[in-house]
Amino acid sequence: MNAETGLTRVVHEVRQLDLGERTSYQAGSLTVGEDSVKDLLRDPALAEVGLACADPGDSVRIVGALDAIQPCSKGPGGGGVFPGLLGPAMPAGRGETHVLRGAAVLAAGYLPRAQEAVIDMSGPAAPLSPLSATHNLVVEWTPADDAAWEDVEAALRRGLVKVAAHLAEAALDAEPDAVEELPEPNGSTESDRPRVGVILNLQTQGKFKDVFVYGRSLSGGLPTVISPNELDDGTVVSGQYGHPALKNPTYLHQTHPVVAALRANDELELAALVLCPEPVNQADKELVSAHAARLCTGLNLDAAIVTKEGGGNADADVSLKLDRLEEEGITAVGILAEMAGRDGTGPPLVVPPTKATALISTGNYDERMTLPAVDRALGRDRIALLDQPSTDEIELPVAAIYCAQSTLGWGRLTCAEIA
Amino acid sequence: MKIVHYVNQFFAGIGGEDSAGTGPELRDGATGPGRKLASLLGDEHEIVATAICGDDYAASHAEFAAELVAQARERGAEMIVAGPAFTSGRYGMACARIAAAASEAGLHGLASMHPENPGLGEAAGTAVVESGETARQMKDSLERFAAAALKMAAGEELTAQDGRIGPVARTNRLAEKSAAERAVALVLTRLGGDRDATEIPLPDFDSVTPAAPIADAAEAVFALVTEGGFVLAGNPDRLESARATKWVRYSLDGLDAAETGKFESVHGGFSTQWANADPNRILPLDIAREMEQEGKIGRLHGEVLATTGNGTTVADARRFGMEWAADLRQQNIQAAILTAT
Repeated sequence: MNAETGLTRVVHEVRQLDLGERTSYQAGSLTVGEDSVKDLLRDPALAEVGLACADPGDSVRIVGALDAIQPCSKGPGGGGVFPGLLGPAMPAGRGETHVLRGAAVLAAGYLPRAQEAVIDMSGPAAPLSPLSATHNLVVEWTPADDAAWEDVEAALRRGLVKVAAHLAEAALDAEPDAVEELPEPNGSTESDRPRVGVILNLQTQGKFKDVFVYGRSLSGGLPTVISPNELDDGTVVSGQYGHPALKNPTYLHQTHPVVAALRANDELELAALVLCPEPVNQADKELVSAHAARLCTGLNLDAAIVTKEGGGNADADVSLKLDRLEEEGITAVGILAEMAGRDGTGPPLVVPPTKATALISTGNYDERMTLPAVDRALGRDRIALLDQPSTDEIELPVAAIYCAQSTLGWGRLTCAEIA
Repeated sequence: MKIVHYVNQFFAGIGGEDSAGTGPELRDGATGPGRKLASLLGDEHEIVATAICGDDYAASHAEFAAELVAQARERGAEMIVAGPAFTSGRYGMACARIAAAASEAGLHGLASMHPENPGLGEAAGTAVVESGETARQMKDSLERFAAAALKMAAGEELTAQDGRIGPVARTNRLAEKSAAERAVALVLTRLGGDRDATEIPLPDFDSVTPAAPIADAAEAVFALVTEGGFVLAGNPDRLESARATKWVRYSLDGLDAAETGKFESVHGGFSTQWANADPNRILPLDIAREMEQEGKIGRLHGEVLATTGNGTTVADARRFGMEWAADLRQQNIQAAILTAT
């Protein structure tokens, strides 16, 4: 590895989360200073902010989950993490970053275009969501009278990253549970291991359906290459609230499971991370896909794994890239969810690839599951989709379970023919 | 066993496309291909009646199936067999639906059609056996159909060996490893030379031959249809904003334009701000009316058919398409403009 350019990840495990007077971290226990966190969330677009804790195993349902973030900090004041949003827009991913592993801060409530996402902290849906396994600080709010929804969204996005940095700052001086060295890919092809790239398609469909890189949308742009280590520092922040099961929150970008699996694999080399917009028209999808494949050729990649965010429209962004990569002689694997109808008998993909057929399934979006009644609900009192109280027993498609089918690959959900 | 056989208007001898709007009815005894089928089924079984419905009627009135099944039960039927529908899409959809409705009502249900018939997806797990492509293969198709019906009547499960076709259900389960780890493993498998390994078999999509261009737009009746989540304000029919399972129809009679406040979009896939400010940008009724008045198009159909295209399954989208086509054909519409979002 290159010691000068790599990232050192200093890991502090969170095993307990409480609200208190002052933010502190000690031996796995994170206390959230309520007043200081509410101060950080203060914004003209928000009339009122509430905080609550949701822990793994609790009989709690979070309804209307929006973005979720893993607390991280590079030092006092929060500089260096979430570039372009919290600090200056400059490349990150080097030096030292403290993370609170096992904790997340997330917002839950109503936003326009935000399809209702459900997180159950216990029960049958809990194994499906990464945020069922974390100690969550849940931010609820009342919008200010006359505030534009865009301003409410921006206030939440800015506020969450501030809170995430603030919480991790409390652990800067604590004894770490682990220190992990993450080398930065340096373009060298001297290794005899196959070079594998990760192609990360980011949804770019306008307000409430956009993802930010250095605080900017990739909409209208071309693919670009950044160090995978930049993800750990929050270079990619989500403002996309559609398709709950297929959502890629900031938390999953920071802990990108495909990047992690490649880092952990001895036979393959994590060689590059390619960020791509997901344009909404066909000609732009084709341009972006062809351009991304050319970048991969230029990076001397032997293989690439392609992921997406969104529903059937975004299938095209994966399928076109798989085809263009195979034409370039690069082995391509796509991760996709199936949309095969309630009974699982319909065609699984909206736009399948024609040349590359190596696909990993994150399960059927339309299959339904029953979630038992819970003691407490956060985010929203009623589930509008079902017109039921949030604490009721509910029947939902997997599509509504937060991140259950994220193609960033955290989950174990898959699909197979009935034997 | 008492059996009711379902055929469309053509095989019942009522007529071709001009009779496709014929409503559902039950006639005593076997009719058309049912006569040959009855002889193949032997003396132990009897086709007590033939259920009949026009293809367009069946495609645009899903309740036809339940009505015919109820009438078949009154005749003491224990099994309903439907087809063969060959590659005819609307007929195939009707056969699949009536077989599925029979199963749902606790009767034996069986349909016969070609594996590429787009109606196959409507069978909802009910047994369908393979037929030939066209009625020229009627004899072989009926033999296979009868053999399958006899096996089903004996209480046995039909398998691929009996010619059973249809989509195989895929169900969710938890894998041992995460999707990310499986993707990395699949990279290694592929780099190792295995070019077939995958978790998702690629779907086959049928290709549709476009209808011939209309000869003279000034003489034609045009319909406006949309997948833009276009609804009456307040969404009284509760059309879904995503993963739509249905479509709606609204009258356009007497409207010069899609007025703001009268219509809105509930589509969950884009910002509806501008659509709601001017619903004509989802459904171009204003321009269409102008063209109607200028004589550029013959006449505008008095109804809009609308659904939401956002996370919609291919199976549902295909069904909507067949239902819309049947509905518009029944009303002698020559052209449809589908606005997509």
